[in-house]
Amino acid sequence: MFQIVSDGGSDFTQEEVKKYGVEVVPFYVNFDDEFLKVGVDISTEAFFNRLSSEKGVFPKTSQPNPHDYVEVCETYLKEGKDIVLLTISSKLSGSHNSALVAADILKEDYPDRKITVIDSLNGSVAQGLILREMIKMRDAGYSLERTEALTKEVMKTTRIYFTLDTLEYLKRGGRVGPTTAFVGGILGLRPILQLEDGEVSQLDNVRGKKNVLRLIKEAMVGALEDEKEKVSISVGHILSEKEALSFKTSLEEALGIQIDNPITAVGATIGAHAGPGALAFAYCKKYETLEGEI
Amino acid sequence: MVNSQTWFIVAQVLGLITIIFEFASYQIKDKAKYFLTTGVGSFFWMFMFVAIGLATGMSTQLSLLLAATYSTIRNLVFYRIFSKNTPQSKEAGLIFLLVMIAIAVVAGTITVLNAPEQVRWLHILGLFAALAFVIGQYLPGDHYVRVTVVFYAVVVLLTQTPLNILEGDFRWNIMGILIETAKIISVIIFYARYSSQPKKPQLTFVKP
Repeated sequence: MFQIVSDGGSDFTQEEVKKYGVEVVPFYVNFDDEFLKVGVDISTEAFFNRLSSEKGVFPKTSQPNPHDYVEVCETYLKEGKDIVLLTISSKLSGSHNSALVAADILKEDYPDRKITVIDSLNGSVAQGLILREMIKMRDAGYSLERTEALTKEVMKTTRIYFTLDTLEYLKRGGRVGPTTAFVGGILGLRPILQLEDGEVSQLDNVRGKKNVLRLIKEAMVGALEDEKEKVSISVGHILSEKEALSFKTSLEEALGIQIDNPITAVGATIGAHAGPGALAFAYCKKYETLEGEI
Repeated sequence: MVNSQTWFIVAQVLGLITIIFEFASYQIKDKAKYFLTTGVGSFFWMFMFVAIGLATGMSTQLSLLLAATYSTIRNLVFYRIFSKNTPQSKEAGLIFLLVMIAIAVVAGTITVLNAPEQVRWLHILGLFAALAFVIGQYLPGDHYVRVTVVFYAVVVLLTQTPLNILEGDFRWNIMGILIETAKIISVIIFYARYSSQPKKPQLTFVKP
């Protein structure tokens, strides 16, 4: 028996955490020397409302420290459970490093227990999809070793794309220059970003929101229609639930399938750089379709 | 000593090379390769005016030489920007674009103000066409650059028609007509090729 622990990058709600019996180690957000645990001290919605209302402020997100991981994992180790830790991409945050340090500390105190740390090389709804597959494997009675191996196969099939409503938050975070943000705003350009090998890169720039959503839907249909029964899909949003829901419905119609995963509110970790109005789209292969791969 | 007749022939050869590169550039979809090809074309175009200047007197070619130098620098800087494709290069590219627009506005406004009243409208149209083309080159996608270059080429061709005749002072520039016509024909051929090919999606995602 093992316990699944994820950092806050997976954007699981408190209800999901309880429902699926996983633990989440939250990230911190710093608004002018005020350190808050995301999802604990401040809700995702409150975070984004504050982000959009305080124009000159750019909150810094910081990773959980090793002690946070030790604290969460120790409870389960004491119960005799092994641990599998899933973190946000190590290229986006130091959370993976904190988890590795914590694992080293814990292995000294609990030498008989297994502690595995997996770098998801993803974030937000994509990390959430990987976590959901891990939960299904655990519930199916898989061993920690097999879960780890299959999770790495799932990760190879995982993709995430984002579109942003504004370049303002990328500018605040120093990811685009002020001129790019200004001119992009005038031209109504909406960037399409992706996580590639764990890093954020820009895939395209498209004018107009309707246009960008149409192109993303077509691109998703093109990528998924051959294996639509084998994939798990997730749609995320930042304060744009209605748009996310409408996109999900139209994608379901286009693919002729039911998307089981709920619409997810993208958390502060990635969301601080994306800003309100952003939408996220992720997919991966279901673990059972990859059984033959290992 | 090279005589003016020889320089004139050299200018025609440079003009033909310009046509080849300009024609080829509008068949290319990749933005960086497009800018490199059209940049090489405008490089030869620039030297064409030098050669004409050596044949007929540099003062008559100075404004055209400046315009060609401006195009060459703009195209080659954009080539570097699009081939690097980093946030920093994009930021630098946009600042460069704004500077280029400012230069075009100042130069175009001076030209419009100095133009004879009867043909001023044509110069105003030229200013808008040049601005649209500079912006169109930078915008993403295949279409903006091609639509704006046709607009620009048509306006340049209009200056070679009787619309621009002013008190008998009408100078044909055959090579100029051929260069602009080559751009229009290239765009037509591009769309003819494009429409006969199966339509590729503008955006593709990786299969899981």
